[in-house]
Amino acid sequence: MARAAHPQAMQPKKPGTTRTAPPKMPDGFPGKGRYRTYVAFETTGLIYLLMGFIILRAIWQLGAGEAGWNGVMDAYRNPIMIGFHVLALVGVIFVGVRFFWLFPKAQPPRIGPVRPPPAAILKGMLYSVWIGTTLVMTWVLAGGAF
Amino acid sequence: MVETHRHDVVIVGGGAAGLRAAIAAVEADPNITVALVSKVYPMRSHTVSAEGGAAAVTREDDSFEMHGYDTVKGSDFLGDQDVIEYFVEQAPKELTLLEHWGCPWSRNEDGSVATRAFGGMSIKRTWYAADKVGFHMLHALFQHSMRFDRIVRYDEQFVTRLLIDDGQVRGVVALDIRQGTMRAFLGRSVILCTGGGGKIFPFTTNGNIKTGDGMALAYRAGVALKDMEFVQYHPTGLPGTGILITEATRGEGAYLKNKDGERFLVTRDYGVGSKAELGPRDLISRAMVQEFEAGRGFSGSYGEYLHLDLTHLGEEKINQRLPMVRELAKVYGGVDPVYEPIPVRPVVHYMMGGVDTDIDTATQLPGLYAAGETACVSLNGANRLGSNSLTECLVFGARSGEQALQFSKGADDGNERAVRAQAEEEQARIDQLRGKVKGGEKLARLRVDMNKTLESGCGVYRQEDSMQQTVRDIAQIKGRFADLALEDKSKVFNTELVSALELHNMLEIAEVVANSAASRKESRGAHTRRDAPTRDDQNCLYHTLCFFDPAGPRIEKKDVTLGTWVPEERKY
Amino acid sequence: MSDVQIKKFVVTRFDPDKDEVPRSDTFEVPCQSDWMVLDALNFIKDQLDGSLSYRWSCRMAVCGSCGMNVDGAPTLTCKSPLSSYGDTVEVTPLSNFPVIRDLVVELDGFMEKLKAVKPWIIRAKEKAVEEGPYRQSPEELEDFKQFSLCINCMLCYAACPVVGNEPDFIGPAAIALGYRYNLDSRDEGASERNAIFRGEGSVYSCSFANECSEVCPENVDPAAAINQAKLSGLVDWAASLVLPRGGKD
Repeated sequence: MARAAHPQAMQPKKPGTTRTAPPKMPDGFPGKGRYRTYVAFETTGLIYLLMGFIILRAIWQLGAGEAGWNGVMDAYRNPIMIGFHVLALVGVIFVGVRFFWLFPKAQPPRIGPVRPPPAAILKGMLYSVWIGTTLVMTWVLAGGAF
Repeated sequence: MVETHRHDVVIVGGGAAGLRAAIAAVEADPNITVALVSKVYPMRSHTVSAEGGAAAVTREDDSFEMHGYDTVKGSDFLGDQDVIEYFVEQAPKELTLLEHWGCPWSRNEDGSVATRAFGGMSIKRTWYAADKVGFHMLHALFQHSMRFDRIVRYDEQFVTRLLIDDGQVRGVVALDIRQGTMRAFLGRSVILCTGGGGKIFPFTTNGNIKTGDGMALAYRAGVALKDMEFVQYHPTGLPGTGILITEATRGEGAYLKNKDGERFLVTRDYGVGSKAELGPRDLISRAMVQEFEAGRGFSGSYGEYLHLDLTHLGEEKINQRLPMVRELAKVYGGVDPVYEPIPVRPVVHYMMGGVDTDIDTATQLPGLYAAGETACVSLNGANRLGSNSLTECLVFGARSGEQALQFSKGADDGNERAVRAQAEEEQARIDQLRGKVKGGEKLARLRVDMNKTLESGCGVYRQEDSMQQTVRDIAQIKGRFADLALEDKSKVFNTELVSALELHNMLEIAEVVANSAASRKESRGAHTRRDAPTRDDQNCLYHTLCFFDPAGPRIEKKDVTLGTWVPEERKY
Repeated sequence: MSDVQIKKFVVTRFDPDKDEVPRSDTFEVPCQSDWMVLDALNFIKDQLDGSLSYRWSCRMAVCGSCGMNVDGAPTLTCKSPLSSYGDTVEVTPLSNFPVIRDLVVELDGFMEKLKAVKPWIIRAKEKAVEEGPYRQSPEELEDFKQFSLCINCMLCYAACPVVGNEPDFIGPAAIALGYRYNLDSRDEGASERNAIFRGEGSVYSCSFANECSEVCPENVDPAAAINQAKLSGLVDWAASLVLPRGGKD
């Protein structure tokens, strides 16, 4: 049985002339099929929020001298923190893939005489930039080791 | 107590003609209001399913004379020539207005409106919007009509009776489908734009709502229905469902082939000459039936069919110009027309006949007007050319809006008490019909029986004995209707009650069609008799009028308005 | 005739004069192999229970009347082959809508939203009919053509999680239609409509679930229209800060 929607959902401003049964949310919302994926996508916002706090704290601790900075580095070695960052990586990849899927749709039909490239090409460009940047950053962070 | 609503003009039906009439009326006078009363929300009107296009003189090498001649000849010389002259002159203006209102007509490279070839048209003059012209026109009209707060819509109201006092129309009374109560819409003039009645036949392109309601309303009020014997069979409908595959396929170059792969319209003499697949619809439908009778048709689970071959047009052209046809063929016909021919057969599509009106869309009943497929003005005579009908809705829809408004200014309200009393009577009648749970007859059975007898007596080819049988059958089914039992006794959104009212209207229309057909002793246009196979201008160049009479439908004759074009042999 | 298979249909029933809340009835229907869900409903109404109420008309997926939830998914019953479903089929009214009767839902809320986006050609000066049609190139027609294909079937409203939670949200079909006019080269009302898009029930309520486009039977892709409208609405607003009557002219 689908759950109840907002009682005013799709109600006209001028009330109907007969009693109606209240509206129901789409079947499968929020836990089944594509709705589950959508809700997961929305939930990644929490991950970003937490990540934001963690990074802010790290930056704040930069001003606390070497001891403060070492404290931050120790915190990162904590298994719970590592676990969170793995989850965050999964989340970011999920959001990235979904974003790239939807991105071509949000392009206007054209800007002046120029039409956007076909969706497949746009996606290809986005993935190339993403993967390319990741590879470059990894090389830099590894100290140019390879 | 029946709730009443008063407006200057009341329009019944929210399709192309009704919407155009409403817009014309409110644009002509900034102070008046119009009631737009429809049994469905306007975007559901059957206009939406039209596919091919709308005709108007456009090109430099075209002329009003040519469009007029094509239409007169297409009508097998039964069309009123003053009406036709007026129509062809107004057509370009109406289609241009629709373009200004946002209709997305397909274009040429230079930005001008594109035209395509169509059956019976000697020059390309059919404006089109891919192959969804009815959809785009209806939505453009509906969206444009939303600008006017003075067009007051009453959706899902089923009009059951005209209110008449002192020999003049004073409004209508309708069943509020949602509430189950009656409402009276009082106005000094009424325009009927309720479409045709193809659902009296079993195989039709028409949707469920095409039940001839407006025609029945006028008929019961004593107004004649004109030329009802002329029922157009569209050559290319899908077998079984009857879904329309537009003539535009043939306009873009499709071929009709029989079982032997033969383009029979070219190889055999069916009177279409070099026009071949672009001949008029009545000739092509007859040719197809003759192919069936000669054993050259395919056999299928829904009867015989022939092939409409688009495979040589190429995927790009089909996707660009005929995308909906491709979709319909795949979903409902089981074939992809890019690779396989589409199975097709003639199906009932349009009624040339309808409420008898003059060139100003007025009926014999003062204050009552009609436009669109509901009316017989008569533009289309004995056979309509494809793409004239949508333009007809605009031209005469506009005319009716102006004329009905004009009339309403000079009219009075009549005896309002007497009018309200009629509305109360109607409430009682409907309540009684709804409460009828005892009876031996079922709705679906009556409908199927009506369909069957019309198919056998009023098909593409007709003859005396089967037409007379149909006349008898319909009279009998009408009698059985009195014994109808309804299962749905509820008030709120009772669609069985609506179906019963529609069936009642359909039985009236069916009776008129059968009687009119039996009375015409010649073959002309869409009315073809095996026992009178030629056209008889000497004795039969008249419009058939059918009047309601308790003793049985009464047939009379009305002169055809001739003009520049003299009836000649109809050869292409 | 094609093969016949008996299928069970579990259908929502609701008569406000008799039922406190909607209930369901089960029907056994002998279904032909080429039937759509609508054909089964018509069989039920004609032969089994004449009191079943639902809307339908064209039966060729162009009028938009017959939208219902079938096995939980919003769909046009005239275009849903029974062969895609199992032995038991559940037919319920469109989600997110108040229910008037059985499978019939309240449409006036949608009609109000449709009108609110001003879906007509807005121009400073109308062209006289004697001057003939506007010129519009095939490319300019392509710009908005896809968004003009909406048949108002409201499956998108039934699928959208935001519609069910935020009553003011203008919704997919209405936004797509308004945006269609914004893109039409003959229209000059984009600023006006963008202001409406930013106002009550704004386009920014959309969180790009994309369900509307998943269920749309006409490939209108309303999600594309909404999310393009977000950007153009923003650009318009920014331009209006710089130029008092900014936006597309």
